[in-house]
Amino acid sequence: MASLSESPSAAHGISKASLDALIAARGEGAIPAQMRYDALARFEELPVRQALKGGRDWKHDLAKLDLSATRPAGEPLVATIAADLGARGALVTPFDSARTAQAGAFTALFGRAVDTRDDKFASLALAFQQGGAFVWIPEGVQIEEPIRISYALTGGRFPYTLIGLGRGASATVVEHFAGDASGANFACGICELVLGEGATLHYAVDQRTDASAKTIFTRRAALGRNANLFFATAELGAEHAVERVRINAAEPGSSTEVTGFFFAAGDQHVDLASEVIHAAAATRSQTLIRSAGTDRGQGRYYGNIKILPNAHGADARLRDDALLLSEKAHVDSVPALEIAANDVKAYHGATVGAISADEIFYAQTRGLSRSEAERMIALGFFEPAIARFPTEALREELRHALEAKFHATAET
Amino acid sequence: MGERVAESGLRIAGLRASVEGKEILKGIDLFVERGSVHALMGPNGSGKSTLAFSLTGHPSYQVTAGTVTLDGEDILALPPDKRAKAGLFLSFQYPAAIPGVSVANFIRTARQSVRPDDLPPAKFRKMIYEKVDELDMDTAFLSRYVNDGFSGGEKKRLEMLQLAMLAPKYAVLDETDSGLDVDALKSVGATVGTLRSSEEGEHTGFLIITHYPRILQYITADRVHIMIDGRIVAEGGPELADAIEREGYDKIREEVAGGVA
Repeated sequence: MASLSESPSAAHGISKASLDALIAARGEGAIPAQMRYDALARFEELPVRQALKGGRDWKHDLAKLDLSATRPAGEPLVATIAADLGARGALVTPFDSARTAQAGAFTALFGRAVDTRDDKFASLALAFQQGGAFVWIPEGVQIEEPIRISYALTGGRFPYTLIGLGRGASATVVEHFAGDASGANFACGICELVLGEGATLHYAVDQRTDASAKTIFTRRAALGRNANLFFATAELGAEHAVERVRINAAEPGSSTEVTGFFFAAGDQHVDLASEVIHAAAATRSQTLIRSAGTDRGQGRYYGNIKILPNAHGADARLRDDALLLSEKAHVDSVPALEIAANDVKAYHGATVGAISADEIFYAQTRGLSRSEAERMIALGFFEPAIARFPTEALREELRHALEAKFHATAET
Repeated sequence: MGERVAESGLRIAGLRASVEGKEILKGIDLFVERGSVHALMGPNGSGKSTLAFSLTGHPSYQVTAGTVTLDGEDILALPPDKRAKAGLFLSFQYPAAIPGVSVANFIRTARQSVRPDDLPPAKFRKMIYEKVDELDMDTAFLSRYVNDGFSGGEKKRLEMLQLAMLAPKYAVLDETDSGLDVDALKSVGATVGTLRSSEEGEHTGFLIITHYPRILQYITADRVHIMIDGRIVAEGGPELADAIEREGYDKIREEVAGGVA
């Protein structure tokens, strides 16, 4: 271990040497070595597909990502897991020991929702995977108490979260990402959600890593017949946060509610993409996105609804609203619909704008200063998204996190 | 400076105001004492709402001449929130919606802004429940978003709830009566009646802007002022409102035109 950190050539950067060092230090874990080397090769070959377009001067761009200082083989990443499972066969365990803890379930679930073959950054996450969590809720088991998985992301981090629910199972899982300003923080992770028939999962992300971090997360879900996924993500931290969500409503009657919000302040850049694939009959989705930028913050939301030819009776709604709170802030909104079936309902709507002068004046006549009025109205703007997060405690945390960002903004 | 007792009252003197370069108010003089009710009546387009927005500092309305003092303090140089803190309240004809902000949260924030530290949370809650009840509203109203999806009548009730909760020194009610049924008008009358009284209320002075004399059946006005084309052209007691009820504004308009000629 000690020799690793003293050997920059092996421990720094993204390379076969650093992957060798990782495997030598910790073994292959839940992911076979050959799978890791193949993934690294794909990462090196595949182009950056999500390069930002347009004449705008984007400060942060994946095409310009420099990972030479990243240390993928630093100290092991440990997730703090808080779960009250009872003795009903439910399991929450570090990802690295998932295969030994529950080989049957792990093998059945791993890779069901995630396909890294054509995905540069998911390949990177797979190659260097270390840490993360495996959650398995067997058939018919209902876990009432929210399962909380918390990470402090410092250095180079590649966590993998795999959550599987058996037939009719239900659970709430919240992932918290924090991190200090120890420098060169880079996190590239995968989250895989696999829902069996009639299962219900509330899954939420609370990303509040340090303002110097770069994060790239690939989140994928596969829904069984009549399964319900409530997916909610809050991208509040990091200097450059990228999140790509794809939910495959693969079986008839499956449905999902997708919620996301971000608030790009200071020099932050947030790039959020969500896609729902309606691949079977009577599938339903409701996507709600709220994004805002202030200071020199930049952001982009790309939202796609894809309805495949056999998805008769699909019902898809996508609504995304963006709020600009300063002259230099910029948020792009790109909603898209691809519909290949006939008897479907699909709706999308998007707005980008500033706070209305009438709202500010109205609040001012009630004694709020202009900046207080703006803050109240902007917090209200996020509220429909916050309201869709699980547990009041988490909603309050998110409201406070937003308020803190407003106060930090007011001071700069 | 020697010791001087500041004048009590909302005094408007020689007020001229423009919107987008067009002069709407052409010299307005009004004096509203604490505890009094003044009705400002006039046909559509006479400048009544412009007066309301000029008093409260709407950025689209430029005051070009004149003064407005609140208990002796010049408020025209103040931003809208400082005017509210000085004790001025406007009940909007068309209040803005603030989605995502609950009525309870909005009013609590407003109360704390206008009257810092004066009500502990438990007392605030008790007070707002009482006022909601007095205004014949449901407490479910408090958790709805401010004016978001409200009917016209609900918006006016929320304005009255805020008026009751903020208990200002001076309140301008801009067409609060429009769109309200008789029961709602009665509760507006009761709110105004309570607030103007020095025993139960804050001895609030009112400027009630209205097109129709109907609301004055529920609120007794001390003075009635008639505004036409940016000027106050007639003033009198409550009987002036009765005359408008009978004859409309045309007769006064003719008299004014005749007087000028």
